[in-house]
Amino acid sequence: MTTNHRMEVPAPAISARRQARRDLVAALPWLSPALTLIVTIVLFPAGYLLWTSTRDVSPVGVDRGSAGFDNYATLFDSPALGRVLLNTAIWVVGVVLVTLLVSMALAQFLDKAFPGRRLVRLAVIVPWAASVVMTATVFYYGLDPYYGVMNQFLVDVGILDTGFGFTRQPVPAFLVAMAVAVFVSLPFTTYTILAGLQMVPREVVEAAAVDGAGSVRTYWSVVLPVLRPAIAVAVLINIINVFNSLPILRTLTGSIPGYDADTTTTLIFKYIQQDRQIETASALSVVNFVIVLAVIGIYLRVVRPMRDE
Amino acid sequence: MKRFLRSWAAVAVAGLTLTGCGFGGGDGQSEDGSTLSFLVPSYSDGTKALWEGIIADFEAAHPDVNVELEIQSWDNINDVVRTKIQSNAAPDILNIDAFSGFAADDLLYPAGDVVSANTVADFQQSFADNASIDGTMYGLPLIASARTMFYNTELFERAGVTAPPKTWDQLHDAAKKVAGLGDGVYGYGMPLGSEEAQAETSIWTFGNGGSWTNGSTITVNAPANLEAVTFMKRMIDDKATQPDPGASDRTPMLDVFIQGKIGMVVALPPTVGQIAEKNPSLKYASAPIPTKDGQPMTLGVADHLMAFKNEGDKKEALKTFLDYVFSAPVYTKFVDTEGFLPTTRTGAAALAGKTEIASFLEVLPNARFYPSTNPQWAATQGAMQSLMGQIGQGKAPRAVLDEIQAKANG
Repeated sequence: MTTNHRMEVPAPAISARRQARRDLVAALPWLSPALTLIVTIVLFPAGYLLWTSTRDVSPVGVDRGSAGFDNYATLFDSPALGRVLLNTAIWVVGVVLVTLLVSMALAQFLDKAFPGRRLVRLAVIVPWAASVVMTATVFYYGLDPYYGVMNQFLVDVGILDTGFGFTRQPVPAFLVAMAVAVFVSLPFTTYTILAGLQMVPREVVEAAAVDGAGSVRTYWSVVLPVLRPAIAVAVLINIINVFNSLPILRTLTGSIPGYDADTTTTLIFKYIQQDRQIETASALSVVNFVIVLAVIGIYLRVVRPMRDE
Repeated sequence: MKRFLRSWAAVAVAGLTLTGCGFGGGDGQSEDGSTLSFLVPSYSDGTKALWEGIIADFEAAHPDVNVELEIQSWDNINDVVRTKIQSNAAPDILNIDAFSGFAADDLLYPAGDVVSANTVADFQQSFADNASIDGTMYGLPLIASARTMFYNTELFERAGVTAPPKTWDQLHDAAKKVAGLGDGVYGYGMPLGSEEAQAETSIWTFGNGGSWTNGSTITVNAPANLEAVTFMKRMIDDKATQPDPGASDRTPMLDVFIQGKIGMVVALPPTVGQIAEKNPSLKYASAPIPTKDGQPMTLGVADHLMAFKNEGDKKEALKTFLDYVFSAPVYTKFVDTEGFLPTTRTGAAALAGKTEIASFLEVLPNARFYPSTNPQWAATQGAMQSLMGQIGQGKAPRAVLDEIQAKANG
């Protein structure tokens, strides 16, 4: 990577600053659509969320005045919160990790030349092209204990005696939801890593082979370092996506009583729709936002995925 | 510098316009006294066309009043209403189940202000009482529904059950016998999923003489309720119900009954039409809901229309439209088409001969209602929907009721 510095005439600092400001002013008309969007679509709603989380809002939506930090106190008093936070951690770590491992294997496979590769590559995109709610609903009905085709299949081949309520108990339903989440996250992750694989220089791989490195050693020492930025992007985007994912859990675990199969994101919706506590839901949304920022901060700090080798 | 100012002004104006239209009210179209916004839930696929027909006929007769209809699904309507109220854009008329939360925040007109005395007098007394708080009527009962037990006569015959059960013990016995047939057949369908867990639970607690309130406060964990919920758990533990009742919603469970796989369920008036449509060959009969000691009881539910105090004086327009909706021919057609029970005296007289709802009209005098005039009831109901099913997942009845009580207390 080379940097391209323009030759600049050394000038007094004041004049340079004035020049920079003039440049900014000149750019404003072109920036304003983006700035307007950011202010109205991102900053204003986020500010309003923060504001609502400190208000006392009646169940029907009337603002009854300030509540200070009472909503946060209500939230942290909730006996369900511990389990929900644990679920959230299992959900994010489990789904992202499994997705990543499966995608790396899939990408390796799709990188090889074989007859019909184009068709297989297309097939991998399918879960991405389908709506997530639709995919989750297909699994929900397929696993229905009374008339689901997947349950019927398991009964017909003799694995089960009668249909099993996969989506009727917290733990199995949560695992099914994780499997579906992996399924829908695969295409994006696989393609990101596949793009990374295309950047591995053939000569280096061949040189490694000449030097007597086995395939494991080659992958570990030659391919993986090149893949690092691709994996970093895939993991980051997956963490945010999976953390905020609502439709899969809503569809597959929505009918389960209690909070044993909830993550913080689905709990927000239960606060709104069942408990009618918009203000507690706002407080949890703020907490959710802080958690995801912290997770990404830690990830960037500890793993340092963006550093140049 | 001029250009700088101009561009910032443009940004500021654009920002203000955008926030303004999305936020500050958005009900500009209904500020004059003759345009009414009307928000309704969808009861069936035909609801939209039904209301549109009524409004078209009304506007033809009253060209000075304009009604703007908005339809929402039951899943969304509570969120939509709350958002509208939060942004000062409440509908002028709302159709929903509970009105007490709105009345508690002083958002509603008393019924006497928005319908004529004749219309008020036409409501059946039990529904009028159920729509009043401290003697002031706020809700206009629009439709009612009651429950009765449907049982599969073919399964009863095969299992050797000769008569429909009247008491809990007989119910337990009959359900065990039907479940004994095996082959994916279940005794009693108990839907404790989030769709309507509060209805199924109320059927049991009311059937034990229990109540969700002592008149002023919510009493979810009262002894009579605990006894009823403990019996429900016994039904589940003895496998007298379908598996995983805690995660079974009412609508899909009724479909399993309609397929002939469940012995007994508590059903609603529209179930008759669903059976006729989906599986007309199903052999079934109806009977009163079994209670602990066999006393007749049913759960009554009424949905209401209510008028919001918005800016501008719309009382005259509201009165004209609401009196029209509750006039006998219009009202009877609405209730009849949706398959529910009438709440007015004239409506009940007009529909007395309808056989599909006869078994429901018969049990209506013994109907007990949710304590929906208690402002805490909405939160209690939500907690029941999300938590009650835990008795089907191994949690002790007392712990579950205490958990719901804690949510009800706020």
